[in-house]
Amino acid sequence: MTSIPPTDFRSFLSSVGRVFAVFFRQGRKARRTRFFFLFSFLPVAVSLVIKFNQVFSGKPGREGGYLFTNLIMLFYLQMIILILALFYGTSVCSEELEGKTLAYLITRPIPKAAIVLGKYAAYMAVMTGMVILGLIFSFFVLNVDRLLDPSLYGLLGRYLGVLILGLMAYGAFFTFLGSSLKRSIFFGLLFSFGWENVIQYFPGSTQRLAIAHYLKSFLPATSSGRFSFLTFRLEPTKPGLALLMLFAIAAAFLALACLFFSKKEYSLED
Amino acid sequence: MTAVIETSKLSKWYGNVLGLSDVSLEIEPGVTGLLGPNGAGKSTFLKLITGQIRPSIGTVRIFDQKVQNNQALFSRIGFCPEHDSFYEEMTGWVFLTSLLKLQGFSAGEIRSRAEKALDIVELSADKDRLIRAYSRGMRQRLKFAQAIAHDPEVIILDEPLSGLDPLGKRKLIRLIKAYREEGKTVIVSSHVLPEIEALTRTIILIHQGKVFAKGDIHYIRDLIESHPHMVSIRCDNPRGLAGQLLGEDYVLKVRFGPDRRSVLVETNNRDKFFALLLSLLVKNQMEVEEITSPDDNLQAVFDYLVGK
Repeated sequence: MTSIPPTDFRSFLSSVGRVFAVFFRQGRKARRTRFFFLFSFLPVAVSLVIKFNQVFSGKPGREGGYLFTNLIMLFYLQMIILILALFYGTSVCSEELEGKTLAYLITRPIPKAAIVLGKYAAYMAVMTGMVILGLIFSFFVLNVDRLLDPSLYGLLGRYLGVLILGLMAYGAFFTFLGSSLKRSIFFGLLFSFGWENVIQYFPGSTQRLAIAHYLKSFLPATSSGRFSFLTFRLEPTKPGLALLMLFAIAAAFLALACLFFSKKEYSLED
Repeated sequence: MTAVIETSKLSKWYGNVLGLSDVSLEIEPGVTGLLGPNGAGKSTFLKLITGQIRPSIGTVRIFDQKVQNNQALFSRIGFCPEHDSFYEEMTGWVFLTSLLKLQGFSAGEIRSRAEKALDIVELSADKDRLIRAYSRGMRQRLKFAQAIAHDPEVIILDEPLSGLDPLGKRKLIRLIKAYREEGKTVIVSSHVLPEIEALTRTIILIHQGKVFAKGDIHYIRDLIESHPHMVSIRCDNPRGLAGQLLGEDYVLKVRFGPDRRSVLVETNNRDKFFALLLSLLVKNQMEVEEITSPDDNLQAVFDYLVGK
């Protein structure tokens, strides 16, 4: 068995770091980031509407924690992280092909796998920033009257963790799609709103074929209420195993994306 | 002189389509022009020698090292792609410094190298503008800047002069020639003979994926000169002009254009023909509306050379 010499590994990491630095900057300043930033603030707007409604109607309504758990997580888990991961993940490879900028990268002294990993990490950081900000704002808006309750912060930390894990796993999967398929967005949409939305509600072990299953395994059981369908028929996997599975999914799809990107010869002609 | 780039039996197929066939070449320091019509295989050749694609058969070596996945070698090569493509949301400065960062330079070096490269291509004043606001000429110069910014020993330029205005072309030609003086190896592809002629005397003719000829400009010119040229002259007295041209042995054929105002002449000695034409026009005080060469393009010459 061969092993990577430490100097080579260090140089590989350094290449990943350089790619990260370039594309984190580019990702932050991109026009699409502004758009997705607004998009990821959609739940904040919803939270504000709910809160204003509660304040001005004079009715107490549901408590903030309940709304946060159900409504906001619905937005984030079922829609926002999927959309963000889809567009940023697929673009790791496909934007270089569509923009015909691939030659600038692959003629540099950096391994192709470092390009994939560096861009993935950069876009993960951009997406995570957007999601964290939106979630924290939503949390504060909905729980403005209970900000001194320490148990709420544990809940917030858990949800943030779930969303970051979701971005990581979905992002890796979509990075793989972008490296291997031409119409990756189309297939990504099919996966996100077809496969994931259906399989996760199957009883038995079938639901374990959806990434959403492992993410929802970290959520507290919502036994009743209008949004209980979020965990409808969920037969949760133990948190430790769910965490392991999410890391394994991310690692496997990133490895596949690196392999595809390194071996495949992309045609830039229209 | 030792060859910097060596290819042996280099071939590339894209599925069933032949991109390049059995190319064995040795390229030495200096400027080498890669000349061929569109679709001849020039870009395929350049992608192969820059390690962007793998050969189906054969080998490429630069500085006697294999090219594929040789990251250390890539820092000695500068490549200017053919496509007019950029990270459009970057400024010229960010584009250049980003690519230098990928080369692994320190922050200070990145700054000084980017400044120098932008200065060379005369884009310093526009460095903070978004690339999408650049003119075509500025974009071509920026592409060139990123190929030279890390001071590579081998510079590979795929159609660098396309889209440039005459002044821009002249400037870039002067720049490329300066790299020859520094002892660097420069390969420039083009489908326009005069562009290549202005750059170098060493030319590789490529057509249908095969190297048709390699050699000094005189050898290539002789090949091309043996191809009869068609010249169309639209003037006020085409019949009179035709009568005077017919007497020369290098005028092979004369006929009149469909508009009856132009005369089409086929000659196998373009230089002598144009000298005669000029003297006749002056002597007879003819008014000329237009002189064109209907088949004066590389494709026609190649078709002739390959016996179509």
